[in-house]
Amino acid sequence: MFADPSRGVDPGQPITEQEALARLRQQEDPGQRYYAAWWLGRMRSRHPDAVPLLIDALAVRGTAVDSAAGVNEPNAIARNAARALGKLADAAAVPALLTALEDPDDGLREAAARSLGELGAIEARRPISRRLATGPEWAGSVQPGSSRLQEPCEALLEALGMIGLAGEDDPDTLLALVRPYVDHGRPLIRAAACRCLFQLSGETHWVEQLRALLLHEQLQVRRAALMDLAATGWRPAGPAIAGTLAENSLKLIALRGLVEQSPEHDPQATWPSAAEIDLLNAMDALL
Amino acid sequence: MTVRPPSVIPTDQVEGLVAAVEAAQTADDLTDAVEALAAAAHPDAVPCLIEVLGFNNPGAAVAAVDGLVAIGEPAVAAILRNLDDYNYGARAWGVRALAGIGDLRGLETLERALAQDIGPSVRRAAARGMGQLDPVGLGTGERQALAGRVLPQLEAARADGEWIVRFAVAVGLEGMARWWRPDPSQRLLTALAALADSERETVPVVRLRAVLAQARLRGEAPWPSP
Repeated sequence: MFADPSRGVDPGQPITEQEALARLRQQEDPGQRYYAAWWLGRMRSRHPDAVPLLIDALAVRGTAVDSAAGVNEPNAIARNAARALGKLADAAAVPALLTALEDPDDGLREAAARSLGELGAIEARRPISRRLATGPEWAGSVQPGSSRLQEPCEALLEALGMIGLAGEDDPDTLLALVRPYVDHGRPLIRAAACRCLFQLSGETHWVEQLRALLLHEQLQVRRAALMDLAATGWRPAGPAIAGTLAENSLKLIALRGLVEQSPEHDPQATWPSAAEIDLLNAMDALL
Repeated sequence: MTVRPPSVIPTDQVEGLVAAVEAAQTADDLTDAVEALAAAAHPDAVPCLIEVLGFNNPGAAVAAVDGLVAIGEPAVAAILRNLDDYNYGARAWGVRALAGIGDLRGLETLERALAQDIGPSVRRAAARGMGQLDPVGLGTGERQALAGRVLPQLEAARADGEWIVRFAVAVGLEGMARWWRPDPSQRLLTALAALADSERETVPVVRLRAVLAQARLRGEAPWPSP
């Protein structure tokens, strides 16, 4: 989930990688740093300076970027740097992201957790579990005077699922820690928990609950269920995805997920399987 | 597209269906009412269906596009007149409707959308639409000329930064075989090669779609029913 920087800084002019690096390196204009951090992630920069500069930017605190233009999220530069580091697939970012995961700013913890999940950082499993361990009653409770939860549960749960069970010697405890979140009052948290439990256990009843959320009355929930199903790659959800009342763009992303994230997908294959042809035909109809 | 049977719904019944769309109070009611109107496939429904495209209700807009595509040729002039440059969502749906109808009068709109539109959803609809053109009445020479105009535009869009547009380009190139005469398979196989090649295309689902298109052009995989 990338914040759209286009309202903060003129997005009209395409910039080069060198320009983006220069904008991130300079210290005078926080808006330029914010935009440059986003750019490097969006473009999946592979420049050797990108990750070190983003790690530096991850330490910036408290800069209000441009509240007049609508960018006023706290720690905006650090949050965008955290998001970008998840896209660049470089394990060198993991220690800095683990530090960000302990930050008092829950929005920064959220961005860091998502990126640690994208990086599949096994080292993040314990600190993420610790944050979820107080359960829906505390970690999943609403902050006073805010709609935000004490912990960014959705991101934490999704990250746990993406990290998986590799090297885990006590999977039962981990699963027991996640399970109460399937009864959370917010459907988006329930969806994240189901997704996580399916990824960790392979038990299809979790992903069937996720599929049922495609019929939820709120569009926001249907959208989240689409993205969660995409991450699971669970192909039996294909017809339900194609028929969901939501934007075709999201349904297409979800169906792509079923093709590419399924354990049945062979990355070396040069020929689509019969199940994949069914998914491709469903995608054609949504273009 | 083949000639469609005329709508069997009498005009006064269409008026009732239009009134139901205008009276809908919730998003779900609106979608249901638009689906009923779209199913009538009656030319009198065109203005109402076009209006629905601007409502920012995806469910209703999908139904309205289906209805406009079912009405087909009689809807084209009105869609072109109403492509709203200021309502981004409505324009995207309008391009989708034109793409589905395949009328040649919509080609310039598709071309502009594919080359210039900032929205990937619009570019992807345009790319697909170029494969769905319905050049009724054109002879072989005219079809060759049309292909000579369309093919370079789809080839250029293979470099689009959005995976879904490149996916749609593969679909569009495959679709050109439906109307391009004489047999264009070799040209289209060549055009698809860049999208099927893991050295040049990084997204697996795009490569798989291009491979499927190549297989269909070679007669090695069945075509979906149109």
